[in-house]
Amino acid sequence: MATTVSTDVSNVPIKQEAPLPTRGRRIPEHYWGYLLLAPAVAMVLALILYPVIYSGWLSFHFKHAYLPLETFVGWDNYRDLWSDTAWPFSSADGFWRSLYLGAIYGFGSTILQIILGLSAALMLNESFFGKAFMRGVALFPYMVPTVVVAILMKWILNDAYGILPYLMDSSGIGRVLWFGRDWVMVTVILISTWTFFPFVVIGTLARLQTIDPELYSAAKVDGAGALRRFWHITLPQLANVLFVVVLLRTMFMFTKFDVIWLVTGSGGIGFYTKTLPIHTYMKTFGELQVGAGAALSMMMFLMLVVFALIYFKLYKRDEHI
Amino acid sequence: MNARLKQIIARISFYIGVVMFALFCGFPMLWMVLTSIKPDRDILTATPVFWSWNVHLDHYRNLFDQTDFLIYFVNSITVATAATSLTIVIATLAAYGITRFRFTGREYIAGGMLFTYMFAPILIVVPFYILMKNYGLINTKLGLVLAYTTFSLPFSMWLLRSFFQSIPLDLEEAAMTDGASRPQAVIRVIVPLAFPGVIAVSIFTFIVAWNDYLFARVLVSDNLMKTLPIGMNDLYNATITDWGMMMAGGVVVTVPALVFFIMIQRYLISGWGAGAIKG
Repeated sequence: MATTVSTDVSNVPIKQEAPLPTRGRRIPEHYWGYLLLAPAVAMVLALILYPVIYSGWLSFHFKHAYLPLETFVGWDNYRDLWSDTAWPFSSADGFWRSLYLGAIYGFGSTILQIILGLSAALMLNESFFGKAFMRGVALFPYMVPTVVVAILMKWILNDAYGILPYLMDSSGIGRVLWFGRDWVMVTVILISTWTFFPFVVIGTLARLQTIDPELYSAAKVDGAGALRRFWHITLPQLANVLFVVVLLRTMFMFTKFDVIWLVTGSGGIGFYTKTLPIHTYMKTFGELQVGAGAALSMMMFLMLVVFALIYFKLYKRDEHI
Repeated sequence: MNARLKQIIARISFYIGVVMFALFCGFPMLWMVLTSIKPDRDILTATPVFWSWNVHLDHYRNLFDQTDFLIYFVNSITVATAATSLTIVIATLAAYGITRFRFTGREYIAGGMLFTYMFAPILIVVPFYILMKNYGLINTKLGLVLAYTTFSLPFSMWLLRSFFQSIPLDLEEAAMTDGASRPQAVIRVIVPLAFPGVIAVSIFTFIVAWNDYLFARVLVSDNLMKTLPIGMNDLYNATITDWGMMMAGGVVVTVPALVFFIMIQRYLISGWGAGAIKG
């Protein structure tokens, strides 16, 4: 193989038509492209795209997870999604309720991540003592595996022995039932924020570093305060990156499963955090209704397509594909 | 004088912010470590004991003696390492192919990569499970390796592609004019230059595999095949929670990821751009 590629190096025309070389070789060049991409494309087609299409097929069937039951039911699984639309989505089984809870979770945790992540990135963009160390520290939460985050936070927020309830108590803030029905959504949002805000730091810090310092010194000369400089220089410069980050974070938070599941589980308080991914999982592996579960994944897939379309449009405009 | 005072106050409040931020990020982990080395009587107290002089490692001993934690640990290491290696090889080949050769459908493949990049595990886990069941890959490490490799591939290819794009063709040409074969040129010239990208890909894949709960939960039921995330969660749910032992487990699960991270940290920020925020 090696010899085939290396022949005729001397014949290579020196001037290249950018960006891709066209050189003489025994195996035509485009075959090499296909050959090198084949393993990756085969895996993605077989193990991501095929499952999604299969999921679409399943969503028109009644299928049990273990028993060999499989009947074509047409749009029934989708029609069932519309069955429980009455506010305040009382049924534990409702698609709309899971969508509503998912919106609270998705938007809530995304907004907090952006605020926290952007503040951290702005801080880490200043020069101060211990900056390199702090950059490492900022990425710490991302490094802690999700299952550890869930158990650790259950310990820190533990009603009887947790350190945070104790600190809140002794400082006079008072007690909050972190894992009670009223607060559990807030708890899950806060835990998710802690875990995922480093992504926002990574995403925005790189861009912050490329902002021309001249802009700031010019604004300072003009007497603009820190807030005005942020509003009129940093934010506009950051706008594109920030939009992509918000879009992707929202997307990933809407489809987030493990944090919520590991913190609240299926029963009890899990009812109050039953977002669309949790609902889908419960339908499939709890109630063993694979067809109905597939219909729910297809709804998530539709959302993803909408997000992807926006993302593609942006990407095409700003960076080249 | 007044302006100077103002400046000092601003500086001090900035450092207070820095310290609070460090506590926010680091304290949970510090508390995990402290809890794991305390005796139970200092753990289960209404007033938390910050530091106990009775440092002991019983929780760690119990974790390895009384549970199958070591098996889970070995399983996780095996699966994560295999998935990472496989991803690097396949993604490097693909990224090289897509940046250096011209062929029909190139743009579509690139776009497809960007699209599948947005997929979340929950979207494919149901059909993936049925697929694996049909091929008899339930309760095997191969099934998990396939899951993590496939899931990491789109992002990895996308990341490496941008690295390869930034490497001028001339370098390769020069090496080849000097008598190197194309594979030699790639290994000696291109891969070293794209090294930060390879590192970013490896850390991403490793963390996907090390972290994953959903695929492992669905694909594995045999206790001896469990990886750390499901093994640990099952331990947590099995009995009345032994907090000391759970925290010891948390430390053991976190340390490899952290060590891996510290080793390659200097490549990290340069390797990750705005697109690198999957998770």
